[in-house]
Amino acid sequence: MTVRTAATASWAASPAWYRVSWCQTETPDTVTIGLRPVDRPIAPYQPGQFTMLYAFGIGEVPISISGAGAGPDLVQTIRSAGAVTTALCASTPGQTIGVRGPFGTDWGMDSAAGHDLLVVAGGIGLAPLRPALLTALAAPERYGRITVLIGSRSPDQLVYAGELSGWRDSGARVQVTVDQAAAGWTGHVGVVTQLLARAPIDPAATIALVCGPEAMMRPVARALCDRGVAPRNIRVSLERHMRCGIAECGHCQLGPLLLCRDGPVISYQRAAPLLAVREL
Amino acid sequence: MVEDARWPQGPLMLAPAALSQLHAALRDAGYRVIGPTVRDGAIILGELESATDLPFGWGVRLEPGGYRLRQRDDGAAFGHSAGPQSWKEFLHPPREKLWSARRVGGAIDIEADDEPAPRLAFFGVRPCDLRAIQIQDQVLGQGTHAGSPYAARRAGVFIVVVNCTEPGEACFCTSMGTGPQAGPGYDLALTELAGADGHRFVLDVGSPAGADLIAGLAAEPADPAVAGRARSAVARAADMMGRSMPADGLRDLLARSHGAARWDDVASRCLSCGNCTLVCPTCFCTTVQDVTDLSGDHAERWQLWDSCFDLDFSYLNGGPVRSSPRSRYRQWLTHKLGTWHDQFGSSGCVGCGRCIVWCPVGIDLTEEVAALRAEDLQAGTESEQP
Amino acid sequence: MSGIPPSALARHAFVAGLPADYVALLAAAATDVSFPAGYRLFEEGGPAQRCWLIRDGHVALDMRVPGPARLLVETLGAGDVIGLSWLVPPREWQFGAEVIEPTTAFELDGPTVIAHCESDPALGYELIKRLMTVATVRLHATRIRLLDLYGRTPAGTARPHRQLREG
Repeated sequence: MTVRTAATASWAASPAWYRVSWCQTETPDTVTIGLRPVDRPIAPYQPGQFTMLYAFGIGEVPISISGAGAGPDLVQTIRSAGAVTTALCASTPGQTIGVRGPFGTDWGMDSAAGHDLLVVAGGIGLAPLRPALLTALAAPERYGRITVLIGSRSPDQLVYAGELSGWRDSGARVQVTVDQAAAGWTGHVGVVTQLLARAPIDPAATIALVCGPEAMMRPVARALCDRGVAPRNIRVSLERHMRCGIAECGHCQLGPLLLCRDGPVISYQRAAPLLAVREL
Repeated sequence: MVEDARWPQGPLMLAPAALSQLHAALRDAGYRVIGPTVRDGAIILGELESATDLPFGWGVRLEPGGYRLRQRDDGAAFGHSAGPQSWKEFLHPPREKLWSARRVGGAIDIEADDEPAPRLAFFGVRPCDLRAIQIQDQVLGQGTHAGSPYAARRAGVFIVVVNCTEPGEACFCTSMGTGPQAGPGYDLALTELAGADGHRFVLDVGSPAGADLIAGLAAEPADPAVAGRARSAVARAADMMGRSMPADGLRDLLARSHGAARWDDVASRCLSCGNCTLVCPTCFCTTVQDVTDLSGDHAERWQLWDSCFDLDFSYLNGGPVRSSPRSRYRQWLTHKLGTWHDQFGSSGCVGCGRCIVWCPVGIDLTEEVAALRAEDLQAGTESEQP
Repeated sequence: MSGIPPSALARHAFVAGLPADYVALLAAAATDVSFPAGYRLFEEGGPAQRCWLIRDGHVALDMRVPGPARLLVETLGAGDVIGLSWLVPPREWQFGAEVIEPTTAFELDGPTVIAHCESDPALGYELIKRLMTVATVRLHATRIRLLDLYGRTPAGTARPHRQLREG
């Protein structure tokens, strides 16, 4: 298999080609794939960043990176929502996928060192948080108490379900709550703010990383502020329509921010006034 | 203006016929010359086969939502103000193929694009449009964009600016600090004098490339009186603007105005047609389109102009974030005059007036800003009352 | 009921801010209880005469459907209140409750507490305020759950007649 890239190929417009090395079905509509570069890899990436994944001839979508870069694979979790993501979810080992990136701001694992880490994930929002958690679990001496609160639609919609016990074994306190239980579920039923209300945290020592639908992140961030966590210590990952990933197309604007460049991770201190404006 | 010992000392003078020599010199130097020309009832920007393609004797009559050509009686070549197009047609094209690729078996080849970027000479750039080009340079050509196709096209451009002596009815460059005298960044600058005293051009050199180009031209130093008249004409134009938009504190005003009632008012008029974004010389938003042929083995990625007025521009997870026309007009104006500062370090508006002229319902952003200021002042006064 | 020391009850978040004499009244109507995993606290349709302030543990509210399974409605833990139906007519449990993990709680006798509130409306108001907060938080959470935010088409966002665009 050969891939030749023209000498005049544009600086960022054309993808780097990766081959799918493995696929893992997480839920009926969500797949995690491992990707290996065919030729040149993308630049080193940090937890919280994303790539633009390209399904040949179909299109490109922004997908958060879900691996911490420890292994040889670029790990990305894709939820099927339209033509491109459905094609990516259907990809098989050996298939070629285009990758551009990494783009965006990261969770700031270095500045979070020395603090308790509170990871709050809603639904597929766990995918961008996984590399932050793996990074912390790989260097637990750098961080204080690590707590993970996960909200999921139902037990069968839980991504990375098979990894939770490993995270607990590595020292994280992991709790899952579902909106709708299923037969045999003995975990929590309710929204993630209800888990948060019962979670013992030291607000002054906590850096919170929050990701999920905006309607979930807002009450979580407010609840954290009510508990005494400083807004600048709450980091949220925001999402807007992205086309180029390189701050040129204008689609991902949120007020003064271009989320592909100034986000997706921003502090709640910056995000709060922007999220409060309808249709911003 | 930075000066160089090689450059001619002081301004030169050209007769109208010398424009043809200037054009020829540009062609001989390998440039395709783009400039204003009359076509389809408007003064558009097109390739000039000779200097006679310039719109000698043509002017325009402008109003909010109105544009008409008119005949001038002085034969001026640049006696018109901004038409529906801007130089972004050539630097940031409406349609551009980013790359193409072929899949053969399991291999994917990116196909080489061997065409070198054309060398363009922009003949007749207004000072406001020069600033607009520089604003787009900041967005699309600098920093992390230094290797982009925009940067490659821009690197080879030769700019002949024309200073303004007669503002159009919709112009307000003085308010935005972009004219009527051109700032640095041009290779050559012309100031046209046309009237009872005869038709001439005062020529200033702005770069080594400009100095080199005119080296072979028969151009005499300008008579000081003539040069003086040219300078005065431009200076006078600054006071002849038909509208103004004080730019102080616009960024903060717009940041405070998300909830203003004025947005509802303008939304009742705005058609969300996007004309303003098409004619604005700094609007840069694009979308990306991935296409394939019937075999599915040949794919192309194209970049196309897009507009924040398009309903799906902000599409996310089941619907657009900005679904109301109110929110989309607010986005456009707030970005252009406010958050552009946060993102790119300057205003996005150069005062060319095109959006006013080409809005089908004649929305005038200078009026909208004045109304927002008044509403903001009123709100401030009310909040201070006990 | 056997009554518990007021100082023990005072540690529970539910009574935070309640004047000491009210805490004493409630403590006299309270019993210290603990339940093993699998214990059924009450059944749907049964008389609602008690409530519990959970100290530690994990309890699930459920509903019966044909078949062996029970549908889980909500789970409650440390600091939560189990039982709101004792306060309002028809004073019947609307759900069942099962202990999931060993649970300790203070059990309050419903009729006794209601009688105290009837004779002292100020106490009644204090209890209503606290129970209203519990109910409001659960109502908000329930509404959010109904929005199905993690679903593919959260409530109200589906466009039935248009192909969804990639975003």
